[in-house]
Amino acid sequence: MGIISIENTDRLFWLGRYTERVYTTIKIFADRFDSMIDFDEIEYGKFCESQDIPNIYKSREDFSQKYCFSLEDENSIFSNLMRAYDNAIVLREEIGSESLSYIQLAVYAMNQASLSNAPLLGLQKVTDNIAAFWGMADDDIDESQIRNIIKVGKLIERIDIYSRLGKDPDMLRREARRLSNRIDKSQIRYSMKTLAHVNYLVQLDDVPYDTLTDAVERLVVDTN
Amino acid sequence: MISYMEMCGKRDRVEDMEVYAGTDVVNEQLARYGVKFGIYKNNEFKEQLFPFDMIPRVIDSVEFAYLEKGLKQRVKALNLFIADIYGNKRIIKDEVIPEEFIYAGSGYLPQCEGIVPPKGVYSHISGIDLVQSKDGTWYILEDNLRIPSGASYPMIARSITRRSDPSLFTGKHIEDNRNYADMLRHTMDYVSCGGHTVILTPGRYNAAYFEHSYLAEKTGAHLVSGHELIVENDHLYFIDYSGRKERVGAVYRRISDEYLDPMSFNEGSVIGIPHIFDIYRKGNVALINAPGNGVADDKGIYYFVPKMIKYYLGEEPILNNAPTYLPFYKDDMKYVLEHFDDLVLKDVAEAGGYGVVFGNKLTREEKARFIAMLKKEPRRFIAQEVIDFVDIEIMEKGEFVPRKADLRAFVLMAEEPMVWKSGLTRFSRNPDSFIVNSSQGGGFKDTWVLSQ
Repeated sequence: MGIISIENTDRLFWLGRYTERVYTTIKIFADRFDSMIDFDEIEYGKFCESQDIPNIYKSREDFSQKYCFSLEDENSIFSNLMRAYDNAIVLREEIGSESLSYIQLAVYAMNQASLSNAPLLGLQKVTDNIAAFWGMADDDIDESQIRNIIKVGKLIERIDIYSRLGKDPDMLRREARRLSNRIDKSQIRYSMKTLAHVNYLVQLDDVPYDTLTDAVERLVVDTN
Repeated sequence: MISYMEMCGKRDRVEDMEVYAGTDVVNEQLARYGVKFGIYKNNEFKEQLFPFDMIPRVIDSVEFAYLEKGLKQRVKALNLFIADIYGNKRIIKDEVIPEEFIYAGSGYLPQCEGIVPPKGVYSHISGIDLVQSKDGTWYILEDNLRIPSGASYPMIARSITRRSDPSLFTGKHIEDNRNYADMLRHTMDYVSCGGHTVILTPGRYNAAYFEHSYLAEKTGAHLVSGHELIVENDHLYFIDYSGRKERVGAVYRRISDEYLDPMSFNEGSVIGIPHIFDIYRKGNVALINAPGNGVADDKGIYYFVPKMIKYYLGEEPILNNAPTYLPFYKDDMKYVLEHFDDLVLKDVAEAGGYGVVFGNKLTREEKARFIAMLKKEPRRFIAQEVIDFVDIEIMEKGEFVPRKADLRAFVLMAEEPMVWKSGLTRFSRNPDSFIVNSSQGGGFKDTWVLSQ
């Protein structure tokens, strides 16, 4: 097995989280955007509240533009993609040029989407590239620990977002199960007690989403 | 050198246009793989793509064999010179080189006195810049013995070009340049003192960060920052995620001497490793390239390299320097003042195409000011005849246009010097300029060396 520094362990974990954040928020945004076709207003205020981000947007159009594409908005999808890029670009020797290239392509696709008359289709190319990154990382990276750290980051982010959005408990249970099967293989430090608590919460008939969000955020210790 | 068009013989215009279209495809691929260099403009860091031109520089096997011989000779002499300067100093005692040129230069590091690096290699990776004049003569323009960069660009461009247009390569007997990583790995392993090999980077905001990360990936070395390494019990260690310490035996450092170790050099350095220089002195780690090499690639020392070759090797130099004058010498100063408009003057402390002044481009006032400075600080400048170097064709807006280009050849030193059978051909995109540096808007080409 190769050697991985603490810093790169952190970067791999956050690469997993940010790619998932971009992927899932684009999908959610696309759903909400679709509802605008039939209804006048998108409930972006509620969306901001669920994601714990400030509602700085002036209108539906302002939200659609800034939340997707503004690099000045630190909560925008583009800002999160650049965080993924910032982590990936310093991991070339860990993840390989082939995997890294899909993050680079996602950035180019995001730039193009921001200028497009059909931004949703442009954003689809971003998610295509992120999906390709995950696939390539899974296929191309020799070191299982590296793959597992990225996946753990991805699963934690997914549970976090699903929980914030109050998604179907079955979806949460599936992701929690995947996380439990994966986390030891990644060798990252985490709280076993908190993982047990996460697993307990998702099994409840009436999932306490706020408590679950809080627990999943505290799961990985010493990885900020 | 033969031109690509000559080499391809009967290629017609339609095929040329295919090459043109191929340039866009390859540049798109280079962008995909993040082949960039960093540049600071107005104190802001920006990443720029390094424009690639698909038409290669072609060097035939006979010509390259001559270059190879000359480059090996030069790098051998330069290594012997560095060993001598930090050792017995015979070349000074024998008055071949005035001591002012050694000790007044910023490249000389007194801390390196008496140190013999692992296996006695000082310049493991040498980047030697050459140009070819219109009469076909090759001239050495500069020796880069500190942290020369650029090999990664033709390496990745070759991989992509072969994928994008395999027919370009079919039946042309081109030396494969994708072996650079193997050569580099061998060079690093040869001097390693045992343990892991790492590439030390100042970080992603360094101009050459792409190269650091790409070479780490291709050589299988670990890319590290200074704070991931620690000196303990006279050895260097990498600290892994679990806190375990792994011994490091060779550091291909891509940070300058002054930032390498705050305990021995610039005490304000936050990217270096405290005490690494102490254990290097004890022979417990190899530093690639060795600290203090700047003493041999100072522009003032360049003038003396042909003398070094004769002195250390007892041979006539195979490759020529560009005709150079040292205003430090009275006769040379006289010549420089008399022929000022025909010369290019270079500040020995500058690099990257900066500090270069063409005499005929100055206004009367600028010239007067420059000459006053030259007289005040003659050691600071060298003057060279302007070599009308050969134009190379590039593609621009669908047309073939001639541009000035140089060649950075890479010589790696292990048991013996090895010349990489390729090189970085950099060209000026400005038709009126001789400056080819990427930081000043230049582009690059692949360099094909023919095997037969």
